[in-house]
Amino acid sequence: MKKYIIAALFAMTSLNAQVEGEIQVPYIPFEIKMGKGFETVQANCLTCHSFGYMINQGPQSKKFWHEKVVKMIVHFKAPITKEDEAIVTDYFFEHYGNGRLE
Amino acid sequence: MKRRDFLKATLAASAAAVGTSASAGITTQPIDNRKVSNIAFPEKRPLITYSDRPPLLETPRASFTKAITPNDEFFVRWHMPEIPTYIDPETYMIKINGLVEHELNISLNELKTDFEQVEVTAVLQCGGNSRSAFKPVAGGIQWGSGAMGCAKWKGVRLRDILNRAGLKRDAKWIGFNGLDNAAYYETPIFVREMQIEELDDHVIVAYEMNGEDLPYLNGYPLRLVIPGHYSDSWVKMLSNITVTSDYQKLFFMDVAYRVPDNACECETPENRFKPTKPITTMNVKSVIGYPQNGTLVYHNSHVVVRGVAFDDGHGIKDVLVSTDDGKSWKAAILDKDTAGRYAFRAFRFSFKPQQYGKVRIMAKAINRLGREQPFAEDIKWNHGGYKYNGIDVVTIEVV
Repeated sequence: MKKYIIAALFAMTSLNAQVEGEIQVPYIPFEIKMGKGFETVQANCLTCHSFGYMINQGPQSKKFWHEKVVKMIVHFKAPITKEDEAIVTDYFFEHYGNGRLE
Repeated sequence: MKRRDFLKATLAASAAAVGTSASAGITTQPIDNRKVSNIAFPEKRPLITYSDRPPLLETPRASFTKAITPNDEFFVRWHMPEIPTYIDPETYMIKINGLVEHELNISLNELKTDFEQVEVTAVLQCGGNSRSAFKPVAGGIQWGSGAMGCAKWKGVRLRDILNRAGLKRDAKWIGFNGLDNAAYYETPIFVREMQIEELDDHVIVAYEMNGEDLPYLNGYPLRLVIPGHYSDSWVKMLSNITVTSDYQKLFFMDVAYRVPDNACECETPENRFKPTKPITTMNVKSVIGYPQNGTLVYHNSHVVVRGVAFDDGHGIKDVLVSTDDGKSWKAAILDKDTAGRYAFRAFRFSFKPQQYGKVRIMAKAINRLGREQPFAEDIKWNHGGYKYNGIDVVTIEVV
């Protein structure tokens, strides 16, 4: 009889996830270049995405980086001030830029 | 000549003089030397890791010898940072509302027992897969060739769910929303839309991937599967389907994942082309899984090249392989197409390297419409770096 109860329990738990409990997405310490404006980047950008997301865009123009920051403000509604918008753009162009303004 | 044009011309001339413009604007092979991370994500083995928040993981090339991509090697791409890390399958509900006769809340159990269960093997590929091939560097994650995979999906036809709910007469659009969220409440929700006319029987709401629950990072417990289409519309952790009469204006539909709406789907950085169109269906493509760049093989040994080919569902007719820089092409052997027209078609090609040193192996897929992959250098640029499908090239070393 006991055997049958166990079998029935297994049948009932068929919806259980194959993962027990909560998953945990690991933190990855991406190497990022230090420099002027870094703190502003930390304060404004990390709320939504990792450093990896930013530095894996490839070397880009100043216009590209500015447009990315504007996209975050316009489309994703990130509360980035005018002043920080310029600082963040300059930081990325300086460290992850391709040397071209556009 | 306007002053600005003159400056441009002067710049171009001086660049040419020092020989820096030679490669500008010419599409190359995607970046292929990235190593897998030493940190594994949940339910995954270590993969090429671009971001942890949101998770962005790429499948290494070696996986593409297999017609089915294992769940723990399958690429991952999310847009929003807040992803539920626990879902209770006993209480999970998908809601169907909007212009329907009966609003529905369907549990996973009901989905698995009250509807016809269907399966489809289909390729899931990011529209930006292989983006790193474009020069100048196109905006977005610089994927190599592994933002793709093929799985056997099991679930319920979207049409069956909508029929159960009953569409009202003016129903025209279906919006899909998942459980991932932005960090700010003000951020618009990540909804995808599809026209009801586009809906065919292959579109399913899937709860199973390769015979297992979907991994969390691939959208557990439910995701939309739209065979033949790029992955931007395959909404993960699908929680809500809303039927509307009008198209809703949405960032990810109107701004992202779009290409120039011209015959070549191309433009230049200086002259961006408007209007644009969504990337929608996939073009014909193949990727070599073995050998890889830098693989050492012996002279006169038997090398079996293996890879996968696919398109948007017309089906692969041939895969041709060249080992002499594209001068001659021979047909590879294709696996039986038992998995259907949306699946990876695995191919293999045996050859004996007759010369020492570096040898380039190229693979070119041709679909049943006769469409074939172009050489990378013939692919024109688009600003988002979408839809790269160049002939795949790996360079081996014969010793």
